[in-house]
Parts: sequence; C-alpha cells; structure tokens
Amino acid sequence: MNDRTRPNRDPVTLLRIMMISRAIEERLIRLYHQGKVYGGAYSGVGQEAPGAAACLAGEPHDLYAPLIRNMSVHVGRGAGPHHLFRQWLARASSPTRGRDGNIHHGDLSAGVYPMISHLGAMLPVVTGGVMARRRRGIPCIGFGFIGDGGSSTGDFHEAVNFAAVFDVPVVFIIEDNKFAYSTPTSRQFRCANLADRAPGYGIEGHRADGNDALALLDLLARLADDIRARPRPVLVAVDTMRMRGHGEHDDFAYAPRELLESYRARDPIAVCRDALLADGRLTDEQWHALEASIRTEVDQAAREVAAEPAPDPRTLLEGVYAPS
Amino acid sequence: MPRREITYLQGIREGLQHVLRTHPETVLFGEDVAAFGGAFKMTTGFLDAFGADRVFDTPIAESAMLGAAIGMATQGLKPIVELQFADFATTALHQLLNNAGTLHYRTGVPVPLTVRAPCGGGFGGGPFHSEELEAIFCHMPGIKVVYPAFPSDARSLIVSAVLDPNPVIFLENKFLYRHVKEDVETDIAPVPLGCARICRPGTDATVVTYGAMVHTAIHAAETVAHETGAEVMVLDLRSLKPLDTQAILAAAATGRVLVLHEAWRTCGLGAEVAALIAEQAFHHLDAPVRRLTAPDCPVPFAPELEAAYRPDEPTVTEALLDLLET
Repeated sequence: MNDRTRPNRDPVTLLRIMMISRAIEERLIRLYHQGKVYGGAYSGVGQEAPGAAACLAGEPHDLYAPLIRNMSVHVGRGAGPHHLFRQWLARASSPTRGRDGNIHHGDLSAGVYPMISHLGAMLPVVTGGVMARRRRGIPCIGFGFIGDGGSSTGDFHEAVNFAAVFDVPVVFIIEDNKFAYSTPTSRQFRCANLADRAPGYGIEGHRADGNDALALLDLLARLADDIRARPRPVLVAVDTMRMRGHGEHDDFAYAPRELLESYRARDPIAVCRDALLADGRLTDEQWHALEASIRTEVDQAAREVAAEPAPDPRTLLEGVYAPS
Repeated sequence: MPRREITYLQGIREGLQHVLRTHPETVLFGEDVAAFGGAFKMTTGFLDAFGADRVFDTPIAESAMLGAAIGMATQGLKPIVELQFADFATTALHQLLNNAGTLHYRTGVPVPLTVRAPCGGGFGGGPFHSEELEAIFCHMPGIKVVYPAFPSDARSLIVSAVLDPNPVIFLENKFLYRHVKEDVETDIAPVPLGCARICRPGTDATVVTYGAMVHTAIHAAETVAHETGAEVMVLDLRSLKPLDTQAILAAAATGRVLVLHEAWRTCGLGAEVAALIAEQAFHHLDAPVRRLTAPDCPVPFAPELEAAYRPDEPTVTEALLDLLET
C-alpha cells in the first residue's frame, strides 16, 4: 500500500516541491517588501509539508482544494513559478487574468480549485467535484485543506458531514498552525485535538506531525489508496506552525518566541532533507544542486514575469457570464 | 397540435422531467426531493424514473448542497438543486455570490448550475417561508435570475435555465403552483433567458411586473378596462437578470408606468426598473413612474396582516386608476 517506489511518491520529489514552494514564497515576500506586489502577501512558509505530501499521495485525476498556506499544492500539481508570479503580480497572463489576486487561483485542468476567502466554502465544492468525477467512472478522490480557524466554520461541518453521508472519498486535512490571523486555538475549539471531531461524523480521524513530510506522505498515501478502494472521507489533523504573520503586513508580535523557535528547529524542509541525507537517498551534492537550480529558476521567472504586460482595462467585463 | 391544461407546478415538473430525460448529465438533489417527492410534491416519481444516483436527498445543509453543486458543475454535470424554500438561500449566499458567481470571471470555467427556489407569500407562510429575495440574487454578478408566471413559461424556462452554462436561480412562486392553469402544447417551446413578454396589450398605461403579480395585474387591468375603457399593458419580465431592458423601454411608451412586485420596496427590482425608465425613456413619460410593492417589513403571518402587506387586485386597480388620472 505504502509504495514509495512509485515514481510519483519519490521522496526527493517531495523535498523538491517543498523547496520550490519555499523559494517562490520567499521571493514573493521580498517583492512585497520592495513594494512590487499589489495588495497583500500571504505565505505558507513552514507549512509546505502537508500540501506536498498530499500531491504525491494523489493521482493525476484527483481533486484538490488548497487554501492560503498551500502553495505546495499548486507547485505539486504542476504550477511553475511563472504561473504563480503572474498571479501575484497581477499580469494579464495570470491564471485569473488579473481578475483575482495572490492565493486566489487554481487550475481545474490540474484538478486544483481556486479558493475563495470564505473559509470552509471550498470543502463542499471539492466534495461535489469528487462525486461528479466518480459518477463518470473516474476513480477520483479529493484533498480538502482547512486551518484550525476554518474548522470553526459551519461550512467545515456541513462539508465533512455531507461527505460522510455520501461516502465521498475526501481527505480533509486540518492544518493546526496555532493562529487564525491573531486568534489562538483556545478561541477556536475546545476539544483536545481537532482529529477528535472525526468520530462525531462517523469517520476516522488521524493525527500527524505537520512538519514531517515523509511521515505525512506515508500516512496520506496509505489513506488515499484506502479511500480510493473503499470510498469514505477521513479527517487528518496536522500539528504545525505558521512561521510568519497572517500576511506580510502583520508583525506577528502575538506569537510567543519560544513557540516559534521550537517549530523553527523542526523546519519541514530541513527535517526532510536531513532524513534523506541520513539514509543516503540524497547526497550533499544533489542537495546543493537542487537548491541552486531552484533559486535560478525562481529568480529568472520573477524577472521575466515582472516585464509582462498588465491586464487591459477594456477586458473588465469579459467573462462575467459564460457564453450561452 | 393537441393541447391540454396544466398547472404552473406541472409546467415546472414537466420541464424538469424533459431535461432529466434528454440530458443524462443532469442530477437533481435537495431536501426531501427523492422518495418523498419534495415539500410541494414537485418531484414525485422522479426517484423511480431517473434512479438514486441522479435524484437524491441531502442533509439539511444549504451551503454543502450549493457548494457540492458548484463542484459537480465544474466536472461535467448539470446539477439542479432544490432549495425547499427560497428563504433558506440566505444560509448559503456566499456559495452563490462568491463561488458560483465569480468562478467563470476568475477562471473561465463555466458553472452550469440551477437553483430552484420556491418563493412568495399569500398562503400564511409567515416570515421565513414567504420571502421574495430576487433583488438580493439580482445584485450578484455572474448569476442569472428567472421568475416565470405562467405554466408554459415555467416549463420552457426551467429547461433553458438548466441548459444555460451559468448559475441560474429559478424562482417558483408557491402561490401559483396550483392556482394557475394554462392550455399548453405537447412540445416544449423554447423560451430564451432574458426575454420579457407582453401578456396583455394596452396603450394607456403599463404594468411592469413578474411572478404572481402578473396575474394580479392582468385582473386589475381587466377591471380598469371595464370601469374606464382604458387599456393597460402588462409586461411579464420572466427573467429578472439579465433584464430585458429593450422590452421595458418599449413598454414605457404608453407614458404611464406602474412597477409592481410582492418583494420589499427599498432597493427592490422596481427601483431598478424605475431608474432604467427615468434614465432612458424619460421623454416617453406623461407621469412619474409609480412603484407598488410590499412594504419594508418582514412577511407577516396573520391573514389580516398579510393581506395588508401583499399587493392585491384592489390595490393594483386603485394604483392604476390613480396613475391614469395623473
């Protein structure tokens, strides 16, 4: 079941997805502080593991509903740095043609739903998408992402319950990253762990270390294979930490330093790299080469995209409706 | 062509049956719609006819229903969701406004989704089973809103709504379900979205209206004709978004316009129609455009209160007589 020998579950690919995500977001953060990003800048720095692992656990025909911290889902489903910079820099060629900004994008041809800001709202959408694909005979499963804050919404409840009633194979991944904007988890839920909610829906709940990508891949691959064969939703609550403010405008003063440091010591990229170096699946040379090539690719994409044209205001009203 | 009489409810029902029969990518779901046949028995027999994978009940979860329908619509299906009452759309407005209404604009991916929403009062439904929320729906970019008044239009427009590649809110007036009958042909005539229809010709004044008030307006116009000889045109909008602005402007040529709806007054559709006429057909007008609407209060329960709340034939007749004398 837990087959890491399949090419799409290659641990070095897992590491690479996280590294590309991190490099893109670090570059975006820099662009923001240089005043080159229109609007805010939101990142998932420190939370690359769950999305990357979910991408490797899934198949090309699966559906994903990432949220604000899940750059690694976009990267893992094939969105390159050009695609992502175009979106953030609001170029005419952006995936939303400049109609939406920053993290609000997706690529349905790659099975990735574009999020809206209303937390929880995408969970029933990915559930319905999976239902439709399976009805067409495609053995699709879904991955729906939410945070500790989003788990407080009615939509979270409606979607998980809905998927449970219809046995829709969706992995609902709650990334407990300790803060919803500035609000700590003590004001979001009373249960000991968000996985404890699963029995209330009649589904399995799992806890996982959100900063251990290899262990997450093991778990998510096992769950994905299992629910594909025996359709039903599952809940996975991962323990992680948002390593920056809600957005770059937020000084994050409310986060205890020692808490941040404890998670900084378990950075998901470093944890994964060290494990792979330790058992020889990655060499120092490969690591350095990977780092350098990603850096070059990301820098070049950022430069090229910055020179691309902005949307034409004359297109303002295009596409409000699909042509009948 | 053989003709037979059907009710408004039968019209919608037959349109749904037609589109479910001819388009295997359609699915119909909602609360109590399958074995029970729906709160108004609209879908009785559909479960047996089309099977449990196409007609099914859901939990009481409007946001999950509409969200799932959006997901399905992006994956090759044409979902038809029944909201048991239009009033309950308010628990899922974000799915309509922010998800369904923006997806094509943001990504170019169509959302062929139909939301059926029984609405309107006149039967003691009280504040939460009588609401007319069309103005809220019409305010949403990317959403279409349809509201038929006749069995034939209901039958045709539900087909057009389901086959449209956009999210369409199909408002069904509950009062009309069994109160209005019409002779129809066997074949379903195509009626495009966005087209109003003159259902009573006239040259002395115009009522612009939709839904149950179309029938109230026709009766009032007959009374006015009988009492004064004046002929009042009744324009049934049929689609509220897109609005048939050309038909409205042409109908304003009578010089006297009354806009009539059973929805609330402030920011209601009547305000939009009146503004449109003021902007573009002012030169036609012999009198200010009038609005006759429900007042800005929750829909009351007691029959005496609801009768005072909802425009009826005497109040429409009175408003028309007054308008004709202006």
